[in-house]
Amino acid sequence: MTDEAPREAHGTAPAGGGRLRRRAGRVGYLGIVVLVYVYLLTPLVIVVLASVNAGEFLTFPPEGFSLRWYVSFFESEAFMGSLFFSLRLAFFATIVSTALGVAVALYVVRFAGRWRERLRLFILLPLLLPEILTAIALLFFYYNAEAFFRAMGFDLGSGVFRNSVLGLLIGHVLITLPFVFLGISASLYNFDRSLEEAARSLGASRLTTFRRVTLPIIKPGIIAGALLAFIISFDLFNISLLLKGIGIATLPIQLFDYVRWEFDPTAAAVATVSIVITVIAILITEKLVGLRSLRF
Amino acid sequence: MTELAIRGLSKRFGDVAAVDGFELRIGDHELISLLGPSGCGKTTTLRCIAGFESPTAGRILFDDRDVVGLPPERRNIGMVFQNYALFPHMTVRQNLAFGLEMRGVSKGEIGQRIARVLETVQLGDLGERYPRQLSGGQQQRIALARAMVVEPSILLLDEPLANLDAKLREEMRFFVRSLQKRVGITTVYVTHDQAEAMVISDRIVVMFDGRIHQVGAPDEIYSRPVSREVANFIGLSNFVDGRVLGAGDNGEFRLETQVGTLRCAYSETLAEGREVALIVRPEAIVLSGAAPADSAGSAGNAIAGRVSERYFLGNITGYRIACADGLVLQVQDDPWAGFGVGDEVWCTFDAAHAWIIPD
Amino acid sequence: MTNSVEVPAAGGASASGPARKGWNPTLFLVFPTVGLLAAFLVFPYLNMVVMSFRNPSTSQVFAPGFTLGNYLDALLDTDLYYLEILLDTMVLGAATTAICLVLGFPVAYHLARTSSRFKSVLYAFVLSPLLVGVVVRCYGWIIILGNNDGLINTTLMDLGIIESPLALMYNTFGVSVGLVHIFLPFMILPLLGAIQSIDPALEEAAQSLGASRFRTMLRVVFPLSLPGVQAGTVLVFVLTISSYVIPILLGGFSVMIMPTLVVQQLMDAMLWPFGAALAFILSIAGALVVYVYFRLTSRAIRGIA
Ligand SMILES: Nc1ncnc2c1ncn2[C@@H]1O[C@H](COP(=O)(O)OP(=O)(O)OP(=O)(O)O)[C@@H](O)[C@H]1O
Ligand SMILES: [Mg+2]
Repeated sequence: MTDEAPREAHGTAPAGGGRLRRRAGRVGYLGIVVLVYVYLLTPLVIVVLASVNAGEFLTFPPEGFSLRWYVSFFESEAFMGSLFFSLRLAFFATIVSTALGVAVALYVVRFAGRWRERLRLFILLPLLLPEILTAIALLFFYYNAEAFFRAMGFDLGSGVFRNSVLGLLIGHVLITLPFVFLGISASLYNFDRSLEEAARSLGASRLTTFRRVTLPIIKPGIIAGALLAFIISFDLFNISLLLKGIGIATLPIQLFDYVRWEFDPTAAAVATVSIVITVIAILITEKLVGLRSLRF
Repeated sequence: MTELAIRGLSKRFGDVAAVDGFELRIGDHELISLLGPSGCGKTTTLRCIAGFESPTAGRILFDDRDVVGLPPERRNIGMVFQNYALFPHMTVRQNLAFGLEMRGVSKGEIGQRIARVLETVQLGDLGERYPRQLSGGQQQRIALARAMVVEPSILLLDEPLANLDAKLREEMRFFVRSLQKRVGITTVYVTHDQAEAMVISDRIVVMFDGRIHQVGAPDEIYSRPVSREVANFIGLSNFVDGRVLGAGDNGEFRLETQVGTLRCAYSETLAEGREVALIVRPEAIVLSGAAPADSAGSAGNAIAGRVSERYFLGNITGYRIACADGLVLQVQDDPWAGFGVGDEVWCTFDAAHAWIIPD
Repeated sequence: MTNSVEVPAAGGASASGPARKGWNPTLFLVFPTVGLLAAFLVFPYLNMVVMSFRNPSTSQVFAPGFTLGNYLDALLDTDLYYLEILLDTMVLGAATTAICLVLGFPVAYHLARTSSRFKSVLYAFVLSPLLVGVVVRCYGWIIILGNNDGLINTTLMDLGIIESPLALMYNTFGVSVGLVHIFLPFMILPLLGAIQSIDPALEEAAQSLGASRFRTMLRVVFPLSLPGVQAGTVLVFVLTISSYVIPILLGGFSVMIMPTLVVQQLMDAMLWPFGAALAFILSIAGALVVYVYFRLTSRAIRGIA
């Protein structure tokens, strides 16, 4: 009786109809997948198209090819200034967070003992807390710290943290540090400790072992983490918005101000350049260490 | 060369006594194997000698110099790891040069010594390859070469053949042994493979739960095990429990067992009435269809039984013989012996081929 | 035989000998980072708590003394203005999360199981939006959705399909399109991890027992990927309710949610204590939702594990 049911189910579903339905289901499924990819990529493609479109507005079909928006971008002091500022800021943020990240990842993986998990969580905190809240907290803190120092009789000037590159840099380091840390600690966890022991058994000191064996092997993790930090910092928005000083704006902020009120495609040229910079960073990563080393 | 002495070595990890009261002297040119089941403390012992673990107690002497507290890089050891631990970012040549560079050997000499060692391991033309471009066996030999090229005082190997396939593993046993004999380096070799230990070692140290059970030459360990664990770990064994009746002639004892009186060789004295186990290896037992002429005679023991299982192993045939009182004997006989399941047989063995384990 | 490495006599000084007590030089590795995080993350957050209890002031950012007033003003507002915005924020968060899950699951499944040569390209496609700044991506949507000159509206009008432009932007629709787009990768990546760890043999087993592909998905794959679902949904929800750029750029001021409100209070109205209180109300509400969600879903996950 009981084993009758499934046989019946098989019997009543004619092979042809079932196959058709399966085919339809598969097409539907793949259709969704393709649509989502299109959805993910369209805005990026559109930005690039708009930047080389001759007309004020991107239309379909486009009005023709022109580089005039790039010319307008390169002639804009505000945009060029913020582009170079962003590149410099991202560069320094990357250096600092990579140095800190290597050291702290080494400690967490190798020496932290029973504190390991708690410490890991602590370092990942900037990633887990909403960026906008961190930005707000930093803004208040900078203000209060300056007021505090003033009250204590050390007038550091009103621009030690707020309105200063230092304040911005600290914010960027906070946000990028977890990414570097993740990349490096992953490669340290995968690291085969017997390689270090082999080096020690061959007569290398701890320091030599680190320099000649450990460092070269975890280098891909470091490079991947650093490049990711660079990209993140280059694109960082909320922190930059709240902590930017007068007269210093990062590229995303400049772009934000521009697209809020103006619609001409100079912004598309700027956005395209920023995409290109990201793509270059990714290609460098891919070339040096392979995309798979990027960890989130 | 160097003599290695280990005195009362103990290593605890929290509550676990990984090594407990390890005592051993390893002579110059000697190859010693540490043999024992997984987790018995072989690796820990080796790592204490290397300096990667610091002992909880005990001393480790290289030629009477205590090395406890010295970091590994100042002990002048050579070590071969189970996974080889070849530096993946260096070529074979750079791997081999590493230890020599650490010792400040001149460039020219490094070149010569690498060439010589590559010759020795028969991989002369692979110097520019990276480790991942080598087969497992080649990597293994390079790892060996890297440890040897620095001319260490002591060579330490932790299951160096465990990752090789069976055939290659057998070849490499002889390679390692002949290399060690040629260079004459004091060597400690960790393995859990008894056959490997037998082939390779001058002496074997059998460990259980962090303690040494027996130290001896391979044949001694095999034919005169001191404990059930040792006997069980190395080869197949039959145990027959019994009580000492008294001493016979030429170092034999008579035992009263569930299958009658058996006689057995033993080198030490045993009190009458003592509970012991007689051990006899499967291949020491000979099967015969008829009762031996003189079953209680001076030379042999005989136990009657019935074949309950028979299996063919190529070079030998294995049997399980059900004897009186639930005793089952494992027997290995030549493949031409034609006994079948259900046959009544006699298991005979020489008193000199059996051994006593005082429980 | 020459041994260039000296083996000093017994008792030689040791660098790595038995564990040394007390000061440990490896702590130098961790102090800079911990110091940085303590000074510029922990301390600022504590400071923000304090700020939310400060007295408001019209001339400075805050006046001396402490008060509960900021919280009371926000919560007991007679029009329920702030609570309504809070509710809108949560609804927007939930909706975005749901849409991301529905769209993300097939993609994650496909990526996890495909043996296509282009697998790494597809992986890069999923990652790529993450690596391009949020402003750039929003700008792309502005070009597409623009209410007057957007690509969709101009095209449809040129083709004569519509008479007057559709309202695609500066409303919840536009904001949702942007939010889902920006946060979809955060859904796909955890799902991908979870699905990859499911043994494909389980699916074959289900099918061998007579389950259709769809039912296999529903009864086997989805339940087993619940840990990834949980991670992805929480991530997207939290990111959405604290997002600022997308609602501003694609919603203007017609879509008001908590983060926009908070920044408005801080930057435009200069009401720092009140802004801080609003930020905390948002955080606490978000944390509560996540907590309840965790409690509910963890039971389901434990059921399958
Ligand atoms: N670093 C450590 N921390 C805690 N316990 C350890 C550590 N290293 C080894 N042990 C324990 O010490 C015991 C001996 O381990 P050891 O590695 O020496 O065994 P082994 O004989 O080499 O085994 P195998 O044949 O499996 O390699 C085991 O119980 C192991 O769990
Ligand atoms: Mg071991």
